[in-house]
Amino acid sequence: MTAAATDRAKTDKTAAPAAAPARRPRDLGWLGVPVTAAAGLAAFWLFPEDLGLLTRILATALYVLSLDLVLGYCGIATLGQAAMFGTGAYAAGIAAVHWIGDPLALLAVGGLAGGLIALLTGALILHARGLTLLMLTIAVTQIVQEVANKARDWTGGSDGLSGIDPAPLLGLFRFDMFGRTSYLFALAVLLAGLLVARRIVRSPFGLACRGVKEDPLRISAIGGSPKAYLVAMYAVAGVFAGVAGALTAVTSGIVGLDSASFSWSAEALVMLVLGGTGRLYGAVLGTVSFMGVHHILAASDPFHWMLFIGLFLMGVVLFLPGGILSGIERLGGLFRAKGGKA
Amino acid sequence: MFGIAVDGVAYGMILFIISVGLSVTLGLMRVVNLAHGAFAMVGGYVASYAAQTLGLPYAAALVVAVALTVLATLPLETLLYRRIYGHANELSQVLLTIGLTFVIVACVNYLFGPTLKRIPLPDALLGTVSLGPKAIPTHRAFVIGMGAVTLLGLWWLLERTDFGIRLRAAVDDPAMAAALGIRTERLYMATFALGTGLAALGGVLGAELLPLEPYYAIRYIVLFLAVVAVGGAGSIFGSAAAALALGVTDTAGKYLIPNFGEFFFYAALILILFRWPHGFFKGRTA
Amino acid sequence: MATHLRTALFGAVFGLALGVGGASAATVKVGVIAPFSGPFAMVGKTFKEAIAVYQAENGKTVGGDTVEFIFKDLDQANPAQSKALAQELIVKEKVGYLAGFFFTPDALAVAPLIDEANIPAVIFNAATSAITEKSPRYVRTSFTLWQNTVPLAEHMARQGIKTVVTAVSDYGPGIDGETAFKTTFEKSGGKVVDTIRMPLKSNDFAPFMQRIKDSGAEAIYAFLPAGPTTLAFAKAFADNGLKEKGIKFFGPGDITQEPDLPALGDAALGITTTFNYSQAHDSAKNKAFLAKHKELFGSSDTVTFTSVGAYDGAHVIYQMIQKTGGKPDGLKAVDAVKGMSWESPRGPLTINPDSRHVTQTIYLRTVEKVDGKLQNTEQAAFADQPDYGYKVGK
Repeated sequence: MTAAATDRAKTDKTAAPAAAPARRPRDLGWLGVPVTAAAGLAAFWLFPEDLGLLTRILATALYVLSLDLVLGYCGIATLGQAAMFGTGAYAAGIAAVHWIGDPLALLAVGGLAGGLIALLTGALILHARGLTLLMLTIAVTQIVQEVANKARDWTGGSDGLSGIDPAPLLGLFRFDMFGRTSYLFALAVLLAGLLVARRIVRSPFGLACRGVKEDPLRISAIGGSPKAYLVAMYAVAGVFAGVAGALTAVTSGIVGLDSASFSWSAEALVMLVLGGTGRLYGAVLGTVSFMGVHHILAASDPFHWMLFIGLFLMGVVLFLPGGILSGIERLGGLFRAKGGKA
Repeated sequence: MFGIAVDGVAYGMILFIISVGLSVTLGLMRVVNLAHGAFAMVGGYVASYAAQTLGLPYAAALVVAVALTVLATLPLETLLYRRIYGHANELSQVLLTIGLTFVIVACVNYLFGPTLKRIPLPDALLGTVSLGPKAIPTHRAFVIGMGAVTLLGLWWLLERTDFGIRLRAAVDDPAMAAALGIRTERLYMATFALGTGLAALGGVLGAELLPLEPYYAIRYIVLFLAVVAVGGAGSIFGSAAAALALGVTDTAGKYLIPNFGEFFFYAALILILFRWPHGFFKGRTA
Repeated sequence: MATHLRTALFGAVFGLALGVGGASAATVKVGVIAPFSGPFAMVGKTFKEAIAVYQAENGKTVGGDTVEFIFKDLDQANPAQSKALAQELIVKEKVGYLAGFFFTPDALAVAPLIDEANIPAVIFNAATSAITEKSPRYVRTSFTLWQNTVPLAEHMARQGIKTVVTAVSDYGPGIDGETAFKTTFEKSGGKVVDTIRMPLKSNDFAPFMQRIKDSGAEAIYAFLPAGPTTLAFAKAFADNGLKEKGIKFFGPGDITQEPDLPALGDAALGITTTFNYSQAHDSAKNKAFLAKHKELFGSSDTVTFTSVGAYDGAHVIYQMIQKTGGKPDGLKAVDAVKGMSWESPRGPLTINPDSRHVTQTIYLRTVEKVDGKLQNTEQAAFADQPDYGYKVGK
């Protein structure tokens, strides 16, 4: 880490009073990991027959978390996160079909691939802002998807890449149809992801990125390159997205073109904003509520779930700006205030 | 070569006419209105219903569609959009308009069913017209004409009328404009109506190329965004130039290397945005 | 040690659950995975309606067991979600059969699951030849691109057509169609002068039309997935003067499926296709099927190939249940229907014992206007067409 960034971190701490109210709940942030773990294990015992869906939710949460790193902490508005997810998923899938069986190694392959593509494309496009950047990220995703569609010999094209059959986890636990191994594996990976992400956003580097988001000029003034920070964080998020893609490939045994699609990028954005950006657990909460609601509505009336999900989204924007997490925090604040009075 | 140019311009004009409404809302009101496609679709469905079920002639159906769409969406401006104006709200705008799009898609699906709908063309617009060695469908020639009229009309409205001057003032400095007695609320309402009206117009005129079905609202949004991004949000001439450039690029790519047409289009898009990161004509939001 | 205990425990619990389910066997559940929302919602609707028609005609019980269909929505091609849904159906709902599957990747995704759980999967649509090679528990009641294309290419060659351009959407089924056409047509002495693969998301087809015109071919073989792109393609074909120039339009019948015909309008007139089902098919069985559909749902306008795929799929599942006495054993159930023949609304069907795909009559049809309504009128029939693409490779 550069000296400038550490300096920046220090000034950030001393110049913090303005951000003080927002900091308070974050001080309890360490609780998030054990709470997520406990909730995850509780779900395991409460819904033993829904593990297939729950596994997908966990992997998706990691993917949405990767978007939070770029959007929430760097202010990069992107509709191209699926490019990294898809690249990671295909890299892991191809490795699994041809060379490697070990699930952990496959995650590494996916993360590496996702990080590389993010680094390359990030360096190319991150000079842009706003709508232009949005469009560039979309274009990158479309090209990744088209490459996957064209390279049929490797990716299976639109038929999907099937035949991914990872070896038992740690040589002990088989990925069977009841999905217990898959679920616990995904939970462990998500928790590890949350821990690492927490470390990153609280590191001098993470704070510098936040500085870039709020005031890029100032970063330049103290000798940092805003773009370098953005590209670095974009690549880190690419690793997360790639791991999430690989996790989906390993646990579902198949990769389709949808994993690098525009709509998959857009869905991540919706889930993140729903949960709350710039808060790591907002990603988890948003994913769980979006996919949960989708599942329940689609199960009871598959025909018009869109109406309800649309109203749900609009309701959150109008009545819970800042996402579900901010709503919970406000409730918490209300409760504390009342407790104080009494 | 001439054929490519003609087809490309024809396609580009259609792109222009269905995207310019988004350029208005995005550039002049700073609302990332992802429901643009949904409004265009509503216009198309109204026209289809008016022409097929009520038997109105094409021109009347077009007018009814634009008018009804504007009327139907104005309450949305008061109830929803007014709450999310401004720069800081981009994410809320995206989420709210996606939600709105979902609701409209579900309603249209419920009311009209999932099958494709069409707007029957009058006999005068059927067949082909010759442009030198190249024949193009009459309907496309008509759309090119309408596109040119829209372009000039908008230019006149925004650059030469009192409304345009006030609007630009309100966009550049809302506080100052309000202080000068410009009633920004009504101005925004009018601009919103302009945007949805243009969306509806594009939905009707473009229906031959982008057929009407409930997923229209979502299917083409990337295309609309591309035109606005390349053109520069809020710039009418920019949108036109962008639409024509993308139209010609896409046509050339598909004709010359059809198997890699998709690559060609997006690679060109990246290159253009690399060279002109704020669009051809620097938008007002930049 | 701990793992062994765990596995044993879970095994016992689930074994018990499955065992109990098998012994009391009052209800046999069939899980149907298909798009019920989203751009392809029409497909799910036709599946559901066709199954309802079948159940109305044949009752809801087979040999004392009640057959219950459970529908799961999968709005677009999404294999990972397909697998999660199948997992839920098997583990939670304890279905004995899986069915549906509109898209190829969604069908392929469940192969490891159906093998592990020993459950048959009856495919109502997904048309890539290679699917049934991936598990012995797949049975398919739809068609493949090869099955429709081979008789078409032979017919075109017989008509004296010498030069053809193929224009297909750039994805699995499109490429299947292109390969099948090229192989067959060139074997029959014709020449494919240009092969165009069009991006799936194309909106404007004018440039492709120009290319077709410039190639000087006498006819085109076109395949696009049913929906808005097909409409735009057929319109572009008519609008750009290819029809006037006398270029003939051939393709598999997906492109003129019944629900799209009203929107295609006169642009569709004269398109010649080969397919396994036309609503206008003239048989008592088809008329009864359409009448029952109309009685139940008020209209039979949207009945199309996905309807008969599901209708015959339901028949296959009923036969499987009957022949295995409701006992859950996937391989036995599949073995029981191998070689089975029956009369369907589309004509005679046989399940090929090797490919587990239906051998059927493929019809040559032309779009015509009858009483002001467009329909696919059958001109000729090619009996007993197998899946020519089985084990051909990519």
